[in-house]
Amino acid sequence: MEITDVVCALCGCVCDDLVVEVEDNEVKKVKKGACSVGKSKLMGHGRIKSPAIRENGSLKECSYDDAIKKAAGILAAARRPLLYGWSSTVCEADKVGIELAEEIGAVIDNTASVCHGPSVLAIQDVGLPSCTLGEVKNRADLVIYWGANPTDAHANHMKRYSYISKGYWTAEGKKDKKLIVVDVRETKTAKVADVFIRIEQGKDFLVFSALRALLLGYEDVVPEEVGGVSKKDLLEAVRLMKEAKFGITFFGMGVTQSTGRHNNIVNAIQMTRAAHTHTKFSIMPMRGHYNVNGFNQVCTWETGYPFSVDLSRGYAWYNPGETSSTDLLVRRECDAALFIATDPGAHFPGESIRHLAKIPVIQIDPFANPTTEFADVVIPAAISGIESEGNVYRMDNIPIRLRKVVDTEYLPDEEILEKILEEVRAIREKEGE
Amino acid sequence: MQTIRLKLKEEVMSGNARIPVEVDSLTPDKLVGKNEAEIKAVKVWWGNKEENTGELFDVRVEGEAGSAEEVKIVMEGDLSRVKHIGDGMKAGEIEAIGDVDMHCGAMMTGGKITVKGNADCWAGREMKGGELIIEGDAGANLCAMYRGEMTGMTGGKVTVGGNAGECAGQYMAGGEILIKGNAELLAGLNMHGGKITIEGDAVMPGADMTSGEIAVKGKVQDMMPSFKFAEAATIEGEEYKKYIGDLAMTEKKAKGVLYVK
Repeated sequence: MEITDVVCALCGCVCDDLVVEVEDNEVKKVKKGACSVGKSKLMGHGRIKSPAIRENGSLKECSYDDAIKKAAGILAAARRPLLYGWSSTVCEADKVGIELAEEIGAVIDNTASVCHGPSVLAIQDVGLPSCTLGEVKNRADLVIYWGANPTDAHANHMKRYSYISKGYWTAEGKKDKKLIVVDVRETKTAKVADVFIRIEQGKDFLVFSALRALLLGYEDVVPEEVGGVSKKDLLEAVRLMKEAKFGITFFGMGVTQSTGRHNNIVNAIQMTRAAHTHTKFSIMPMRGHYNVNGFNQVCTWETGYPFSVDLSRGYAWYNPGETSSTDLLVRRECDAALFIATDPGAHFPGESIRHLAKIPVIQIDPFANPTTEFADVVIPAAISGIESEGNVYRMDNIPIRLRKVVDTEYLPDEEILEKILEEVRAIREKEGE
Repeated sequence: MQTIRLKLKEEVMSGNARIPVEVDSLTPDKLVGKNEAEIKAVKVWWGNKEENTGELFDVRVEGEAGSAEEVKIVMEGDLSRVKHIGDGMKAGEIEAIGDVDMHCGAMMTGGKITVKGNADCWAGREMKGGELIIEGDAGANLCAMYRGEMTGMTGGKVTVGGNAGECAGQYMAGGEILIKGNAELLAGLNMHGGKITIEGDAVMPGADMTSGEIAVKGKVQDMMPSFKFAEAATIEGEEYKKYIGDLAMTEKKAKGVLYVK
């Protein structure tokens, strides 16, 4: 059976025009629309087969009920629990997660914390003159990728939405457009750019400030070289920005996670404002996971803050750097952790993993990964967007509903969390008596 | 004069997890007039649970006080996970012996805090008055703001004996900071009032500043490309170059002054 308009649950592009062939309740082929990484996820791999609890060093299979009871017991007893992940699952699950965090006085944080969290912080400081990807497709005649390499990381991005796409006022595709790439190395994306600006590692902040000064007309104060870039190249970039009818800067982790972090993004947004003195300009973070943005949306409407929210004192305290997961773990603050749809075992610094090895860890995930190796309770879940449905937010804040294409006996994230929450409430009620 | 000695019990930090204790309820103005038993019953946060001070600290009270000005709190033990020391303090004195955790002296309006060690991030956050002396190093965001706020320190005086981390004095609007060592990236970022003196080196100081003054006595690494040289200047017998910025905020707003050697 051919299923059309399948939504890809991989990256922040959330491509929604996939065609998938399903037979005997199994995805047999991805016929259209997905990039190679998206295709690989849809075709499936390495599932966690059964709920399990670690006993004497090894995981022993158990029932969903036993694993959920064990997880609830750990969380209800914790003095500083951390609930982390939330980006590769749907908003409906995130909502229950926040309710659970509030119930047990936890810190709740999503993968933005180690990704585009700095962008979210910057947006709070200076706002975000942004647009939808549809507007970019139809209007943008200047595309800038800064510290981002979509050719490898968001493989459909240029084709669907930016440099290569053909839109209403950009019918000729890339013939009508200019592409500037700013990076510390010549990436695949840089190789196809009209202008490639190679900057010195960690000097993005200086280059943004120089571009702002040039856009505002203070050419006389800007020195001959800034952050490894000649003034001539900066002036050429400024000329292209001024001449554009509609410019867009897409930025990635090359700039959010390098020296200066969120202040780089404040500066990038301020550069966009400076460009507004000449033309229409927009800016957008290249969000990674398909629903990393959605968690930030849900968390903001539930707690007032987008990520790294500490609910231990009964109200929301938001202080990335203090309440962000890697900081908490490196400082050995947490005494229990729940990881959902994420893999800190592969992505977090060694010091935080060493701490995780000493405290009880709960994992909810469809796939086995390095975190499974030290998790004390492992709960398998249905794959959102393949085996269960729900809402997610694309990188440009557009909500899209993931579809279900095959059936499963695994529980969806939302249901697992609801059961844990119910169990935690029962424990607390008993303690209260 | 009254001295209240609070020594963190060893067992509080002896587990696998080092869960911070938050002591914003233990300032001279909040403890004045309380006897030892009453102080032991004051609640402090330890993770997601409130505990009695006496459960976590050995408490000893010496002498008597008629007002908060006459109260001195001496904090001892492993304070490296004790947060919010002197947070919101109005008067009196706190002496912390050893390294202290985040938010020491945050929101304080009066009195004096001396840290005989290093202070972690956000020391003196949004400080309004009083004096904070950190004998060792200060972490990032010294005297800066809570996330999303547009105003950091507005008054008071802060002295750091060692180095300061990133973004010292971010969004600072008043008061004075003296850093005897080096300042990491972006000291005085978004500054719009007050004065920062850095006796050592600084990296990209003064970015996006619209008012206030920064003086760097050591070397400046990565001078912002959007500052305008104004004139040569002499301060306390030493020669400086005076710059005006940050022009990236537009010339109309750029009223910050940056002195570099």
